[in-house]
Amino acid sequence: MTARFDPGDPVRIRTEDRRGHIRTPGYVKGKTGRIETLLGTFKNPESLAYGGSGLPEKHLYKVAFRQKDLWDGYAGSLDDTLYIDIYEHWLDPA
Amino acid sequence: MSETYNGHDHPHEETRTGAESALYASRIRAIEALLVERGILTKEEVRRQIEYMEARSPANGAKLVARAWTDPEFKARLLSDTKAAARELGIDASGPVEFLTVENTPEVHNLIVCTLCSCYPRAILGRPPDWYKSFAYRSRAVSEPRAVMREFGLELPMDVTVAVHDSSADVRYMVLPMRPPGAEGMDEEELARLVTRNSLIGVSVPLEPGLAG
Amino acid sequence: MASIHDLGGSPGARSSIEKSQHETEDWERLADAVTVALDKKGIKTTDEHRRAQESLKPELYKSLGYYERWVVATEILLVEKGILTHEEIDRKATELEEKWG
Repeated sequence: MTARFDPGDPVRIRTEDRRGHIRTPGYVKGKTGRIETLLGTFKNPESLAYGGSGLPEKHLYKVAFRQKDLWDGYAGSLDDTLYIDIYEHWLDPA
Repeated sequence: MSETYNGHDHPHEETRTGAESALYASRIRAIEALLVERGILTKEEVRRQIEYMEARSPANGAKLVARAWTDPEFKARLLSDTKAAARELGIDASGPVEFLTVENTPEVHNLIVCTLCSCYPRAILGRPPDWYKSFAYRSRAVSEPRAVMREFGLELPMDVTVAVHDSSADVRYMVLPMRPPGAEGMDEEELARLVTRNSLIGVSVPLEPGLAG
Repeated sequence: MASIHDLGGSPGARSSIEKSQHETEDWERLADAVTVALDKKGIKTTDEHRRAQESLKPELYKSLGYYERWVVATEILLVEKGILTHEEIDRKATELEEKWG
């Protein structure tokens, strides 16, 4: 299974308002960041949460966002960064 | 959804009485007793799991940090493979979750949070502190990390970049803080005493020698 | 619309962080151990446990303490999986209270 994204790639978090258990917080949905690193493949929590096998495993990426792109009026340095771990099926190329 | 729970009125967390918590204490004891009667869990398995958690504490993190401060090769291993580095010091962090240690430098300060629940490197540091699980921390650490750190007494200059890590998935994070000034010539055991739990999460920095108890 | 557990940056949560620490109680150690032991035996998963907590009514999620949510979620999953019923847990709880006071 080939990873869809490489470090440095710009990505946008999908905005789906899906019901049920997901590990993508609302505050990054629709936001654009870049791939920091590929963390590996892990069982899919959206399947595990309902008694499923979690297979196929999903690529998990550490995604970096500039804080000022996430929050209006962010109080801090322009370089302040938010890193979050997001599964591949929540990422679109940006 | 459970009618047993959602049918009742519940006071807010801060106003709850001991009697209210007693309901949950009583239910988990009943659940344990029934699971043991049915052969689903044994008393021994439950006891071993309690011991597993009791054996873990911030002292493990302090040991890892103190070794990393004194041994650059160990530090490289801690940053590249935290589980293996922990194993070297006799700390068993095996299990399905991964661990990453993020390094504070003069340029970058790291802060750890889990906004969706309270994920924490339990296999190394034990149970998280109450404030880490609070709604206020889970909410604010991502959107105003500098204000949060200020509440813990840490004021960072603007030329230091703040890196917040929201551990939303299968990786647990721990901070490798910077060795404080004035800690030259201290041995590993002395250094470990400077490393507080809060400094391993990133809301604080290690104690300075002379201030450590 | 974000769910109750999805707290990152939520407006209205501007309160200061309470730093006092309570002593872990025996029942909390037990709730932790039973929940994790069930994971280790493959009877449930961490994600099922999270999903069960997230299914609580928002007022309940907010009002419960951390390990209280764990107990509620573990009970929901054991009932859902047909391993225990709420009624037998009620009965056992009453029985243990009468025995130990």
